[in-house]
Amino acid sequence: MENFSEVVGIFFSLDNFLAIAVGVVIGVVVGSIPGLTATMAVALALPFTFSMQPVAAILLLVGIYKGGMYGGSITAILIRTPGSPASACTLLDGYPMAQQGHAKKALKAALYSSVIADFISNIALIFFAAYLAKIALNFGAPEFFWLICFSLTIIISLASGSMIKGLMAALLGILLSMVGLDEVFGSQRLTFGNYNLMDSISFIPLLIGLFAIPEIIEFYRKKAIPHIKAKASGAGLAFSELKRCMKSIVRGSLIGVIIGAIPGTGATAAAFISYSDARRRSPNKANFGKGEVEGVAAAEAGNNGVAGATLIPLLSLGIPGDVITAIILGAFMVHGLTPGPLMFQENLSLIYALFLGIMCSSVILLVVGNVAIKYFSLIADIPKSILFPIVLMFCVYGAYAVNNATFDVGLMLAFGVLGYIFNRTAIPAAPFLIGFILGPMFEDNLRRSLLIGSNDLSIFVRGPITWVFIVLTVGSIALALYRFISSRRDVRHATTTPPEL
Amino acid sequence: MNKILSSAYLAACGSALALGLTVSSANANDWPTDDVRLVVPYAPGGTTDVLSRRVADLLQQELDANVVVENRPGAGSTVGTGRLARGGRGVDHTILMASPGHTIGAAIYPDLGYDPVEDFVFLQNMIDIPNVMVVPADSPYESVIEFVEAAKEENMTFSHSGVGSSIHMSGELFKTLTETNMTAVPFAGSGAALPALLGGDVDVSFENMPTVLSHIRSGDLRALAVTSAERSEYLPDVPTLSEVGEYNLDQFVTTAWFGLVAHSSFPEEAQSVMQDALSKVMEREEFLDFADQLGAEPGQVSGEEFKQFIADEVERWEGVAQQAGISQ
Amino acid sequence: MTPSGSKRRVKVKDTNDLITGIVLLGFAIVLVFYLVPNYINEPPILQNPMMSPRWLPAIIGWLILLFSILLILQAFILEGKTEEDERAIEKGSTRRFVLMVLSLVIYVALFEAMGAVFCGILATLVLFIAHPVRTWWVYSLAFLFPIIVALLFVEVMNVPLPIMPFGF
Repeated sequence: MENFSEVVGIFFSLDNFLAIAVGVVIGVVVGSIPGLTATMAVALALPFTFSMQPVAAILLLVGIYKGGMYGGSITAILIRTPGSPASACTLLDGYPMAQQGHAKKALKAALYSSVIADFISNIALIFFAAYLAKIALNFGAPEFFWLICFSLTIIISLASGSMIKGLMAALLGILLSMVGLDEVFGSQRLTFGNYNLMDSISFIPLLIGLFAIPEIIEFYRKKAIPHIKAKASGAGLAFSELKRCMKSIVRGSLIGVIIGAIPGTGATAAAFISYSDARRRSPNKANFGKGEVEGVAAAEAGNNGVAGATLIPLLSLGIPGDVITAIILGAFMVHGLTPGPLMFQENLSLIYALFLGIMCSSVILLVVGNVAIKYFSLIADIPKSILFPIVLMFCVYGAYAVNNATFDVGLMLAFGVLGYIFNRTAIPAAPFLIGFILGPMFEDNLRRSLLIGSNDLSIFVRGPITWVFIVLTVGSIALALYRFISSRRDVRHATTTPPEL
Repeated sequence: MNKILSSAYLAACGSALALGLTVSSANANDWPTDDVRLVVPYAPGGTTDVLSRRVADLLQQELDANVVVENRPGAGSTVGTGRLARGGRGVDHTILMASPGHTIGAAIYPDLGYDPVEDFVFLQNMIDIPNVMVVPADSPYESVIEFVEAAKEENMTFSHSGVGSSIHMSGELFKTLTETNMTAVPFAGSGAALPALLGGDVDVSFENMPTVLSHIRSGDLRALAVTSAERSEYLPDVPTLSEVGEYNLDQFVTTAWFGLVAHSSFPEEAQSVMQDALSKVMEREEFLDFADQLGAEPGQVSGEEFKQFIADEVERWEGVAQQAGISQ
Repeated sequence: MTPSGSKRRVKVKDTNDLITGIVLLGFAIVLVFYLVPNYINEPPILQNPMMSPRWLPAIIGWLILLFSILLILQAFILEGKTEEDERAIEKGSTRRFVLMVLSLVIYVALFEAMGAVFCGILATLVLFIAHPVRTWWVYSLAFLFPIIVALLFVEVMNVPLPIMPFGF
């Protein structure tokens, strides 16, 4: 970094700080509105960046991205409506916490773990970009296939209650994910000739429908109970609690970094993997899903760990890992910059200025997040009779806005009913969601591997990465089986202890 | 930065008024009388979206009206396009950014519900992006001829960004014309397809220029040919496929084109206003810089010529889709 | 989640699971024998059965079939969990529930035709009445929120919603 003064010159301008701050604020606000995702906000902000300096332009978009990643968790915790797909995992423990009067604690846990994960992710981006980019390039279809297999095994650990029901939910999720055009042949699958289904079922309506709507249905099916006026927002997060979660946060961040560096897996999967990993290791395992701080922290660490790391393949290879980075790639191009191997040679000082800005964004996220919590946590004090109709309105508007299609509104409500049925029959929704996300990746990478290897199955064991994931997959299943069997034995011995898994 | 705030403020103020007076007169004396809506039939973030937002930004400076971008993605652009084709209110102020999906969609989707040629008026082809036939840097093939010779012997794989993309169809067209053995390997978008190509998992791809240009320059990929009629100024040493002169490849001319279309009832006055404004946009420095960045050439055709081009494209892709067995 | 101590006299130990299992079994049979063969086209030439678009859906179908049978068996063997007791709710009035369903119908049926603002106001009012909210000023929120939020979406965020009745 011999041209340090140049870097400082590029970076230290008011515009850049403003860009990050405005970006993070927009991100948090937009991310917290159901249906309005960070992706959308980044796309909408793009035209504004045309007239800005390149560094400020990119930082604005990165700021929105990071703010949105956190913002999504706010409504997930408060009203069980994930603002963005990645925060679906956060609500598993966040919403129960809010219901028990610990909304503020959950929000703070989410914020701190987000910021820490973000920070770790940025460090990885700055120091290990070149190394991680190499791993990404070695990640072909067969490696991906095994990674997905391993990720699918986390369903088992998420299936609290009945293992059969958990697997059933996952299968239904995979089945629904296959609606649409076939990836290889382009033929229609289970679309029943409906054009709206050809691009497969939209994710956001499914997400909102599955989690937010059942709460509303449930509320109106129950007898009206008078609102108990209590300071529901509750106390903040004690330092000792944060310390207790620290291991999970760091582990989650690292999971996020690795997932983020591999283009195409995404923050949602990272959040769930991190969550189930934390659950597997925690002494409070039974409390997961019922309002465990560590669950919130692990989920948020997982999805925010992705944020910095997705910039690794973007900057070093010019490969966008998800839609947001694809838009950021567009922003680079508008400003005459092409991310990729050449950029590190031609525009090194600009890249370092970007890195400085990205580090700054973590700090700004902390400040903005704390302010946001102060006001957003008041939502927890609003009586549900007033809150829910307005939440429903947001959900409908948001579901419509994703594709500008009324069909999606109907879809969302249909998933709402499905979610309600799931609730009544104790079928867990989380495995359903994971199946829906991972199903297509499983199938596509399986078929892609077969195509690449000309139907030669040896491609599935072609290198060390595949071997590692095969071992992990088998190990994960074996562990789950062992626990299942030993818990059954416990049940038989002492009927008072709850069956695990 | 102020721009965002001030425009947000203005929008908030303006909207209070707008609620009362959206009843627009269909009488297009002085077009535009309302905001112009630019429909993007793809999700935010893709090339079409980024281009459209750039164009919208410049267009509203030329038109003296707001140009609002609206994403209506689905089924490879046919959902958004179909909606426009069906018409409705505001259709006299709606334009759509069409791209190869417009013609390929007609070839591969059953019962489209609209005619990709007759249901539209064609305003202006904005840019043309050539596809580049690229192989990994360590690939043994140095030229198209060498590649075709090898592909006649053994099976080759080519990556593409999704069924019905111009990248996919280019590959199928190549396979048909050269009568070689090639297997299409689908990926979800160019972003996902690129690592497989860089890592050597697939043998060849017919990627869009902007996706691979920097990798060609850095030496990670080798360009064998470009698919446009003329050599690209960005890769002057790379021959066109039609230059190869063998294996029927003289018929292989295709580009990823992006152009603005409107509903067939689009008023004539509006057409001329739009075409004037668009040709001004295309002369703008900002536009040319942007095209440059994409490795694209400014579009050549407009009006009737553009329409004829579309009609030819539809016919060609229908043939290719049928031979490749991807038509429904 | 603790197994309940209450013993039931009937052989079926978990009716909830039994019904769920039967419904899913029916679904799996429809899926495997009707939906997959009829609504998924198979290309004429296939080098590998795993490449078929029908392969995974069929496997999923059979697995659902298997698990639903297991679920039915489990319903006879395992005790019903207190799940029901835990989730047992004091049912509200039918009016309350019907009005909620009505508000959902309003959104689905009228959203495109009548516009977002109109539907938002109507559905929110219906839900307020359903509860019923007795604080009069709250009803003003039913008008305020849909208007403000719709404007926020359309004007500030540039995300189009059908604002006016009978739009594009």
